[in-house]
Amino acid sequence: MEFAGFAEVCERLEALAGRLEMRDLIASMLPGLDDGELSVFIRFVQGRVFSDWSPMKLGIGPNLLYEAAAYVAGRRKSDVVRLVNETGDAGLAIEHVLERRQQSSFFSEPLSLAEVNALLTRIAEAAGPQSQQVKIRLLRQGFGSMTPREARYFARLVLAQLRIGIGEGTVRDAIAIAFEVDAGSVEHAQQALNDLGEVALLARSGAGALDRVSIVPFRPVRMMLAQQGTIAEQLADYGRVAVEYKYDGSRIQFHRVGRVCRIWSRRLEEVTGALPEVVESLDAAARGDVILDGEVVAVGPDGRPLPFQAVLRRFRRKHGVAAARDAVALVPRVFDCLYADGESLLDRPLVERRSRLEGLLDDDYLAPQEVLESEDGIRAVYARALGEGHEGVMLKLPDSPYTPGARGRAWVKIKPEAETLDLAVIGAEWGEGRRGGHFGSYLLAVQDGGRLLPVGKVATGITDEQLGELHDLFRDLVVAESGNAVTLEPQVVFEVGYAEIQESPNYASGYALRFPRFVRARDDKGIDEVEPLASLETRYRRQGSRDGGGPG
Amino acid sequence: MLRATIDADVFREAVDAVAALVSECRLHIDGGGMRTRAVDTANVAMVSLELAPDAFEVFEASERALGIDVTKLKNIVGTVNRGEKLMLSVPEGGQRLNLAFQSYQYSLTLLDPNTIRKDPNAPALELPGRVVLEGARLTNAIKAASVVSDKIALGIDPEARAFFMEAEGDTDNIRFALGSDEVESLSDVRARSLFSLDYLKDMAKAMSRASTVEIGIGIDHPVRFTFEIANGKGRVVYLLAPRIEAD
Repeated sequence: MEFAGFAEVCERLEALAGRLEMRDLIASMLPGLDDGELSVFIRFVQGRVFSDWSPMKLGIGPNLLYEAAAYVAGRRKSDVVRLVNETGDAGLAIEHVLERRQQSSFFSEPLSLAEVNALLTRIAEAAGPQSQQVKIRLLRQGFGSMTPREARYFARLVLAQLRIGIGEGTVRDAIAIAFEVDAGSVEHAQQALNDLGEVALLARSGAGALDRVSIVPFRPVRMMLAQQGTIAEQLADYGRVAVEYKYDGSRIQFHRVGRVCRIWSRRLEEVTGALPEVVESLDAAARGDVILDGEVVAVGPDGRPLPFQAVLRRFRRKHGVAAARDAVALVPRVFDCLYADGESLLDRPLVERRSRLEGLLDDDYLAPQEVLESEDGIRAVYARALGEGHEGVMLKLPDSPYTPGARGRAWVKIKPEAETLDLAVIGAEWGEGRRGGHFGSYLLAVQDGGRLLPVGKVATGITDEQLGELHDLFRDLVVAESGNAVTLEPQVVFEVGYAEIQESPNYASGYALRFPRFVRARDDKGIDEVEPLASLETRYRRQGSRDGGGPG
Repeated sequence: MLRATIDADVFREAVDAVAALVSECRLHIDGGGMRTRAVDTANVAMVSLELAPDAFEVFEASERALGIDVTKLKNIVGTVNRGEKLMLSVPEGGQRLNLAFQSYQYSLTLLDPNTIRKDPNAPALELPGRVVLEGARLTNAIKAASVVSDKIALGIDPEARAFFMEAEGDTDNIRFALGSDEVESLSDVRARSLFSLDYLKDMAKAMSRASTVEIGIGIDHPVRFTFEIANGKGRVVYLLAPRIEAD
């Protein structure tokens, strides 16, 4: 497949509104692709250059991209930036610039999908002091061989924002249709492999291949997630629940084979190097080859948990790990076991996984768990959790399997705070007065089928110290500037509190937040994990007939 | 296989001419000498280089395409003193280019030729305008123009019987004309095309030492610069695609 063909598919997808039409269009493309193209197409159409768990990163910011496109077009970078400001979209801006190029070229060799993939891989692999020059040269080469339309999607792909509204579910269903396999088999394989490109290749060879897929150590699995709920609802509907503390820490997945240990974060970034004492603790405490799921908490000198931010600082650290380790001690709390001695436990019920876990991990790092049937009993655990400085409790269904990446009623979190939303930060405004030189407010968005829709701005709740920290975090993410406002490359997730959700014509989501309040930056969450519009709508509707959020 | 000895200055000139536009190339060697043709990343400028066997003091080669990291080669060759001899060798099937000079022995890992862009075909060009002039005059004019603008028009005015270069900046402009008595040769054909100085500046460095440069030019067409190196035993051709004049 030529990259031009891929761009054409993207353009057709962009024009479709319905998820089913999109699914069918993608499904119709897949059988015609050869094996090499299939996995690339699957990743690209989701706006991903590499698989979720791949450590490869392009390392290209908007500026480098604009510079390369401007160079090929014989225009100035400022021309591109001006167009980004006008269109709000780097892809459209670059397409426009290349349509009006002022530098002719001798020829343009059409690039295939595989060649574009190889080019992007070389960009990611460029390292060392000359890497920026190498990256920009490769980008120019890409733009130099592309039509303006191809460049639109290439630019968006590089920025990981394809803006055609294709979510993972749509692609999963398309794979099932294209290769006539069961959607459940596709989902099963995706849970274990975490790379739909690979899953599509297996689907082509038949459902049997998908069903045989199992999780393996050193390939991280997405973490199972919890949704909000209440003690009363869970008991009413299920009778018995396994109760665990909800830790104010950061999720980890620990893998070990023999004496080789590796750890991944919630976003499936490897953090083995940043958390040496966690590696040592679990290596000493666990028996056999395992994949464990747990939380890492920071503990102060008094033994009480430290706030989440202290943990995150450790996760981010690449240098000076030893010094950081002395300042903040990290302790793992393990609550699940996904794999033990050559066998996947994903499909086993929680109680069975728990008993396996208890058999292979010393008590020191085992998160306590009680299976309870009475509301009073659960409330007592909840009170104790809060008393010890934890966030609340988790209620898990004893019979539930481990479903990677899924959020459902099998795991429910109970915490006392007012509700918060995880939102993408897509813009900011320069502050005034005391906040001069920093961003004073941030524009937030929910997601809807791969698009980010604004839902309001947050300015309160940010301390003076955080103002500086946040400014550092966003400084390199500015893609366009217009007057007092900047557009930000969506990469950072804010947890935001609010008093009420209101309908609003002012924001594209159709909603606005009343009294939004910054709680924290969720470095452990990716943009694809921000609040979906549908879920915001549910919250909006529930407001009227609130049956007591909180722990009720 | 390659076994060659060459004057360091001659080789440096050849490498610099290629390095002006590309960072890697396929260098073809055989009994007929060394050859390469490469295009810059944006497909805007092309270089072709030929070095005949008698540009070398010793030259033996069996046919092969060597993948060369031009930037590294330029840096290595740049350290050789003037007047030194440079020994180049690649054993049969070897993956390294060995460079020996003075008491140094460099070994440069060859790139896989398959990872380097295919040799571009030279476009068929009708460039009726022809000017031959001293390399230094051309280079100086390019330098002067880059003070006021990022692009330059090259042309022939048949009425005035002159080769001209003009550059228009946002506020300033410069015009520079050479009559037929100031150049070695000039055809009476009207020509004018606009070019990016970014590329021309890089090419100008390599052309500055040429005793003469032949320019082929048309109307809104590419420009071709041809000049000799290695005392006439080698030749460099640059092609540059024109800029499109904004209305």
